[in-house]
Order: sequence, then C-alpha cells, then structure tokens
Amino acid sequence: MQELTTPLTSTNTVTASKPASAILSLRNLSVGFGQNGKSVRAVEDLSFDLAMNKTLAIVGESGSGKSITSLALLGLVHHLGGSVLNGSALFNSRVLGREVDLNSLSEKELRKIRGDEISMIFQEPMTSLNPVYTIGTQISETLMLHRGVSAAEARRLTKDYLDLVRLPDALRLLDAYPHQLSGGMRQRAMIAMALSCQPKILIADEPTTALDVTIQAQILHIIRELQAELGTAVIFISHDMSVVSEMADDVLVMKSGRMVEQGSVEKVLLNPEQEYTQALLAAVPQIGSMKGQSKPKFFMVPGLSEGTTNPSSGPQADHNTKAPLLETKGLTKRFDIRKGLFSRITHRVHAAEQVSLQLYPGETLALVGESGSGKSTVGKTIQQLIEPTSGEVHFDGQSIFKLPKLARQRFRREIQYIFQDPYGSLNPRLTVGQSIMEPALTHGIATSKVEAENMVGALLEKVGLQPEHAQRYPHEFSGGQRQRICIARALICDPKVIIADESVSALDVSVQAQVLNLMMQLQQERALSYLFITHDMAVVERVAHRVAVMYLGQLVEIGSRQQVFENPQHDYTKRLLDAVPHMDPSRGPGRFKPPLEGEIPSPMRAVGNEPAINKLEQIAPGHFVSQSDFIPS
Amino acid sequence: MSIAAFFIRRVVQALFVLFIVTLFVAFLIRLTGDPASILAEEAASVTEADLERIRESLGLNKPFLVQYYEFIRGLLTLDLGQSFFRGAVGDLIAIALPSTLVLALSSMLVSIAISIPLGIHAAVHKGGIADQIIRVVSLLGLSFPNFWLGIMLVLLFAITIPLFPASGFSGASSIVMPAVTIGIILTATNVRLVRTTMLETLSSQYVMVARAKGLSERVVIYKHALRNAAIGIVTFLGLQFGNLIGGLVIVELVFNWPGMGTLAVEAIGQRDYPVLQAAISLLAVMIVFVNLVVDLVYGLIDPRIRVE
Repeated sequence: MQELTTPLTSTNTVTASKPASAILSLRNLSVGFGQNGKSVRAVEDLSFDLAMNKTLAIVGESGSGKSITSLALLGLVHHLGGSVLNGSALFNSRVLGREVDLNSLSEKELRKIRGDEISMIFQEPMTSLNPVYTIGTQISETLMLHRGVSAAEARRLTKDYLDLVRLPDALRLLDAYPHQLSGGMRQRAMIAMALSCQPKILIADEPTTALDVTIQAQILHIIRELQAELGTAVIFISHDMSVVSEMADDVLVMKSGRMVEQGSVEKVLLNPEQEYTQALLAAVPQIGSMKGQSKPKFFMVPGLSEGTTNPSSGPQADHNTKAPLLETKGLTKRFDIRKGLFSRITHRVHAAEQVSLQLYPGETLALVGESGSGKSTVGKTIQQLIEPTSGEVHFDGQSIFKLPKLARQRFRREIQYIFQDPYGSLNPRLTVGQSIMEPALTHGIATSKVEAENMVGALLEKVGLQPEHAQRYPHEFSGGQRQRICIARALICDPKVIIADESVSALDVSVQAQVLNLMMQLQQERALSYLFITHDMAVVERVAHRVAVMYLGQLVEIGSRQQVFENPQHDYTKRLLDAVPHMDPSRGPGRFKPPLEGEIPSPMRAVGNEPAINKLEQIAPGHFVSQSDFIPS
Repeated sequence: MSIAAFFIRRVVQALFVLFIVTLFVAFLIRLTGDPASILAEEAASVTEADLERIRESLGLNKPFLVQYYEFIRGLLTLDLGQSFFRGAVGDLIAIALPSTLVLALSSMLVSIAISIPLGIHAAVHKGGIADQIIRVVSLLGLSFPNFWLGIMLVLLFAITIPLFPASGFSGASSIVMPAVTIGIILTATNVRLVRTTMLETLSSQYVMVARAKGLSERVVIYKHALRNAAIGIVTFLGLQFGNLIGGLVIVELVFNWPGMGTLAVEAIGQRDYPVLQAAISLLAVMIVFVNLVVDLVYGLIDPRIRVE
C-alpha cells in the first residue's frame, strides 16, 4: 500500500521472477468476425514481443486490425462481435502470481488484470468518459476495485494522479463532469485513469488523433514522461508515422490484419524493407522537407498513384501580376448565445473578426488554425452557407453580399465547397452520377440529361474513376473514392475557386497523398484557386503557395509558404509549428519539446466585451504579422 | 442555465399551456349545442321563456369570458361548481380522479418493473433466444388495439373462466382486468424502447472503457450503461403517461371503470359543461405536471442539464 500514496515511485513494476526482456509475448494471434469468427479475419497470425519500459508502435491504415489487436489483448474483442481464433499472449501477472496466457484466462481472471496490470487509453476523449459521473468517481472506481482502498483514500490518490497529468485545479476537477472539460483535459483525465493502478502495460489507441496539434504535443509528452517515471511498457497504436517517430522504440507495420514489417523505429522508418512500408512513408508529408522550395510539390507514391504527374514540379500560382480573384474585407461573423430565463443574448462567439485576405488565380491559400480559430466560418461565409455579421466578400471585383439573392447564385457556381466527411456529403439514395450532375442541372450548365451524363463520364475519368461508376451508389466506394467523387461534383460547374474544408483529414495517408496529387494536378490544368482549410501543417507545407494563420477568429500571420514556415514571426505560428511531430527517428527520444501548458481559449465572450482587433503589419513583401501578443490561456 | 432558471421557465411554459387548454375547452364545448334545449327535451312544450330561465339559472346567459373567468376562479379556489345534473363537480371528481390515477399508475409501474429487466436482458444478449422471443411477443402486444384486447380478456377471464369481475368497481380484484389490458400494451412498447436505448448505450465508447477498467459486466451494465439509457427512457415515459391518460378513456368505457374518462364521456353526452371543463382541465394539469416532473428527473440524471 505504501507505493500507492506516492504515484511517482515505480518499485512495484519490476518483479524478480520475470523473464529477461519481454513483458508480453504475443504469438500467432488470429481474430475473426462474423459467424463463429469465420467470415472476416481481422487479425491473422500476428506475433510480437513487448519489451519492458519500451514503446511498441503498431502502425497501419484503417482496417489493418491494429485496434482489434489491442482489444484482443484485454479479452474484450467479443463485445464487438469478434472472437480470438488462435494464438497465445504470455504475460507475467503480478495479481495472479504466475505467467499466464491472456487468451486462455477466465473472464474473472482477466478482470483482475484489466485496468490494473494492463490498461488502455482510447481514441475519442469526448466519448471515453461516462457523461453522467464525475471525473473523480470514474478514476476512484478503478482504484477501489483493484487496490481495495476506501473511497476517501481513492479520492486522495485520484487527485494526485490528476496533478501528475498536469491538470490544473485538480481538486475542483474531481467533482467536475466530463462535458465541463475540453478534449485535451479529458484525455489527460483518461491517462490519469489508465495509470492510476500503475499498469505494467499501457495500450494507447490513437490517443491524440482527435485532438488539436498543440494539445496532441502536450498529451504525447505526458505519456512519454509518465512512461519513464512509472516504468510502463506502451503499445502505441497509430496511423500517423510522424507521431510514431516521436514516440516509439519499436515499430510494427500492419496491413489487412497481417504484419508487414517490424523492427526498431530507426530501421523501419529510415530503412524500410517492404514495399508497402516504403509507399506508406513516401505518402507522409514531412514538415521541414520543403525548405527552400517556393512551389507545391507532388507526392511520390510508387505503386499507389497512377503516376500521371511529374513529381518534381507543382502548380504555379499566378500572383502579383493580376488582381485577386477573391477577397474578403473585414469579414466578421458572430454567433449569439442566449441564456437564462428570458433567452437574452449574454455571450457571443466571435468566430471571425475583421478577416481580410486575398486569393489569387491559380494559387492555393492555406487557412490554418486549431479548433475555434474560425477558419471554417470564413470558408462557409465565402460559399454563402452563412451570412456575415459585417464585412464584404469580393469575387471578380463584385461584392457578393451587396447583390440581390438571385444574382448571388452565380457565385455558388464559381465557388465550390468540398467537405471534410466524404461519407456524409453524398446523398446515399442518389447514384454517384445523379449527385455529380445535380449542380450542373441546377445552374443550367448542362442543357440536356444526355449532355450532363457525358460531362459526368468525362469528369469521373478526370478524377481517376471510370465513367461506368456513375451508375453506382456512394456506399460502394471507399473514402478516398468518395472524396474524388466530391471533387468531380465540385468541378462540373467549372468553378474558379474550390474551398477544401479539411477535405483530406479523414483519409488514410496513402489515399490522402493521391487525393492531394489529384487536386494539385487539376490546379495545374485548370488554373484553379484553392482555399485550403486545415489543421495539418505538414500537408499545408506541401500543397500551399501562401499560408494564413488564424487564432481566435483573427488572422495573426499571412505570407508565402516559405515566409511562414521558414521565418515564422508570430508566437502562435511558432507554437503551432513546434507542436507538429517530425518523422525523424534519428533525432533520438526526448527530442520533442512541445509547449506543456495551455488550453486553446474559447472565442466566446460576454456581450460588450469585444476582442481587440489585431493590426497586421508588413514585415517583408507579402508577409504580414499581427503585432498582438500571443497569450496562451 | 442554472437548474432553477430552467425549472422556472418550464413552470411558466406549463402555466401558459394550461391557460390555452382551458380556454379552448371552455370555448369549444360551447360550440356543440345548447344544454338548455337538452334539459328541456323531456318537457312536453317548451317556450323560449322557459329556455331563457334555464339558461339564467345555469349561468349560461352570461358572456363567455365571464363564464370562463368564473371557471378559472373556481379551479383556483377548488370550488368547481355544480353539475347540471349530478350535484357538486368536486364530489364527482373526488371519486373519478383517484380511480383513474390508481389504474394509470399501477399499470405503468407494473409495466416498468417488467420491461426494464426484460429490455436489458434482450439488449445484453442481443440475437439470443430470449431476445428473439421478447421481440416477437412485444410486437404482438403492440399489434392489439386496446379495446379489442380488453373485450377478449373479459370474454376469457370474466365470462368463460370467471376469475375477475367483468366491469365496474367492486373491490380490489376489479382493477386486474383493466390494468392488465393497459399494461400489456405499455410493456410491449417499453420493452422495445429499453432494448433499443440500452443497445445504443452499450455500444458507446465509455462502456468499453468501463470494461477495460476490469469492472464486472453487472457494474458495467447497471452503473455505467443504465443511467445513461435512463435519460432517454424517462423522457419517453413522460410522453407515454400523456398518451396513457388519453388512451384510458376507451379502456375505462370497456370496463365501465368509474374514472375520469368515463366521467368526461358521460359529460359530453349530456353537455354537462361544468363537469366536462373540470375533467378535461384536470387531465391537462396531470399531463403537464408529469412532464414537469420528467424535466426535473432528467436534470437529476443528466449533469449536462443540471450544471451550467
């Protein structure tokens, strides 16, 4: 009981009887789904050893079986309808006092190990905590179950663990409910819960995928620090090679349920043997790789792309010579929050404040920022999906919102929008062909059905699909194919501007590279302008001509890609760039020094409490920086 | 919004609803005809002066708004006036209201007691034999119209096998038949509701997290899943109670149960405005009150509403 009172000690994690190197040995694991587990094999013949105090990263794209593997280790896979068909997982259990095979333990024995010796952090911090119980209750529960401590003692220990994951004001958080915490705070609470019994093995399943990049950096740092302090072995499941590079000692690459390659992080990331690993790595945009280059660059995706593009060059922007195609002037959007008995407006969300930016013909302007920065609000206002509170949007010299409603219709054609979720943005009851031709018929671009069908066929070929695909329904396509379909739908109106709102964020990295290549290729051919809204700095570095950084509804820096990435001026831009994980295992562990404190503040303000408007000053030709101070809350 | 402000707002809304309901009731029943002519029907010859006298004695010659005002004042002072035919309205209600409440609450409580464990069992063992049986039987229960079910039960258990009284109120055993009739239909709905809600809750991430902590399946289901599922279930039960009060009219008539439904239907036939107004207004008060309680319980279960 002594070590419990001081969570930082790691005396009980090493026992004398343990076999030398591996804390867990998985051999020939197979997991199946469907009738008796026979219809689909999710994991096939997987083996690995997890070394003490080390991090093993399991990497793979969606459907590779990496999450199923972790649930199988905890004996939970049957709750998803799967079953372990074969294999052993040897683990030296302290609570059971012997070496056990996790796959042949009874449910009762497994329960003693779960949450105590092996614990897990899940992907979605927003849904991992039970909304109806306080943080304190949920963490204490584990301690009382496995440590048999009293409620008061559990509460005291819980506070210690909340301090350990650097949650401010831990005492108050004990009695807080999950909805009162931000995503990053919830994930810290989850980590505190998972570590509360000082597990020998921590399984982290995509623990930062749903978080903003600065928060991701904080969480990764905490996991690594606590791992060192507590001597925990970590199985880190991720699709993100850069994150893996920052976290892992060993890497196991999975594809379709099978192991492709495993080895040390240096070996797998720097000298991959398998073609699949090489292709996967080539598709990862690496921050810093574009140093000294002014133009965007295609991805090299051997074996994955159609190879239609010349990888060395990218689309050329047409700047300075022409007037901007699209321009926002002092664009402001505020959302009212009504509260209290009489629904008075007490607060306003200042989603966008005085945003002025220009988009030139043929260029990609990246609009970057974290949650609540207002980047999507700007995009949606330009597409007339929402009305601005004040400010103007000029297109081709005309002020859109000053025109009568009917006259504005034309701009909906010239400016197209591609959404983040390729699953939600196609009507499941329409064929792909019907979805694509709909805007053409609405805007009277195609005069007959036959003409529209011909256009659809040509466009499907253009985006790398086949004309016959027009007859099929969205569910018959993968995520990447659907995003291609959405691009085809955007193109049928022959737009000048495409607003891509996190359009590749939900895609696997190899698919993301292909879709980005397609977008750059189309830009080259048609002199399209993209407003590329994203949180992913590495992608931005690869595809953008110019970059605008938003923070709390305001622009803080805008300039050419090179200016912003190679000579960032505003503190927030620097912080954002620092937080991006690098895919460079040769830098060694602990090289990653992210900002540790600070939440992203809310853009919601009380009525009358107007934010100060940032003044942008030009510090180099085309490079504007806000002179405001960046104060992390 | 604090829970107090939330609650005050709901009370204000409820009072407004009641105002509209009573106004409508008072107005609409006066469109259905002149009670004075019904009262006078039995007399051999009626003059216009006779009718006028009847109207005056019943207060029907006063302007509508005055009549409405007197009715509302009566409601607030619990003086519900006189029935045209059967003495004090208050006395009639005092008999009918408890009968209805006993019937509604007992059938609802029994239904909850049966449907929650059955629904949970079906959800936890989804696709198993018990789940299949529960789903088929509950669909069957849903498919019966309640008046038909009532008549069938009377035929079977009161006439063929005389176990329970067929109708009326004659001691505690009288409640069995109408309560079972309502209970079967409520239970069929509720089992399906509990099953669906639990299935959704059991598939959420926090349930998997609870399992990964090493908690037993019993704690996972009853502590972590059920309380979340209860949010949806309680809301539904509130709405169901409203429907139940409406649905009771038919069942009360089938079993000749001396409740509010029977009272209201009789009053409609006789154009007995004071009784009808009072009965319908009280039913509305009950429905509104139950929904208020649901809102409060909702706040107690779900901290996202309770805490700002």
